[in-house]
Amino acid sequence: MERGIDNKTILDRFALDFVKIIEKHCKYIIVSGFVAIAHGRSRGTEDIDMIIERVSRDKFAKLHNDLVKNGFECMQSEDSDVVYEYLINKTSVRYTYKEEFLPEMEIKFAKDEIDDFQLKTRKKLPLTGLDVYFSSIEMNIAFKEEYLRSDKDLEDARHLRIVYKGKINENEINEIKKMIKKVRKK
Amino acid sequence: MKKIKYSIRKEHKEQIERWANYVRDNPQEWKAKLKPFIDGQIIMARRFYNKLAETSEGREKIKLIKSNVKLG
Repeated sequence: MERGIDNKTILDRFALDFVKIIEKHCKYIIVSGFVAIAHGRSRGTEDIDMIIERVSRDKFAKLHNDLVKNGFECMQSEDSDVVYEYLINKTSVRYTYKEEFLPEMEIKFAKDEIDDFQLKTRKKLPLTGLDVYFSSIEMNIAFKEEYLRSDKDLEDARHLRIVYKGKINENEINEIKKMIKKVRKK
Repeated sequence: MKKIKYSIRKEHKEQIERWANYVRDNPQEWKAKLKPFIDGQIIMARRFYNKLAETSEGREKIKLIKSNVKLG
């Protein structure tokens, strides 16, 4: 029996429904705030952040059309070509359930070697009770402490550090922070 | 004033740590406690957006609100 099946939140259900479609077409990871929330961080959010591998225009059209067929719509456009233009220009796009304003899935294409690395080292995290891929805990902590750094992000990182106390690879966090400095802060 | 702000900040931090410890130590229980809070904010926001969408220019306003939402 799946643990906590009756306790799925609206955000959990949305993530699972969305991933069921996405995973047929490309590699993905869920990153940032929802990683902390799925680990019990008690704060609100309207969106879930997802990075997907860069795919061709044709492949993306199939993915987009499959999402539409399964009850999702893109806020930016119904036209997959237009949505694709946003993505290749490093701008995120947002999908919701059709006729619902939230929650939203905010999608970006992987844009550099850090995103490629995140996709390559993606993980399922059993503590969440969700059968989806996340970027690693070390990656999320490093990004929140080194790059994002808002109060909310630092609190998310603190929460993850406590939940995973004794299981976190500090060397890996430090290596990722170096990579962030080199690639994102140059 | 600074003292009060500092105290709130400290208490907020302590509350975050207390809750994170609870989550770590009670892996089967935390979700049921958190679900009403997480769902509640989505339900309230949906209710608001649905009402706003029914007003004149409501959908345009929603687009504007959403375009300002911080990514991540």
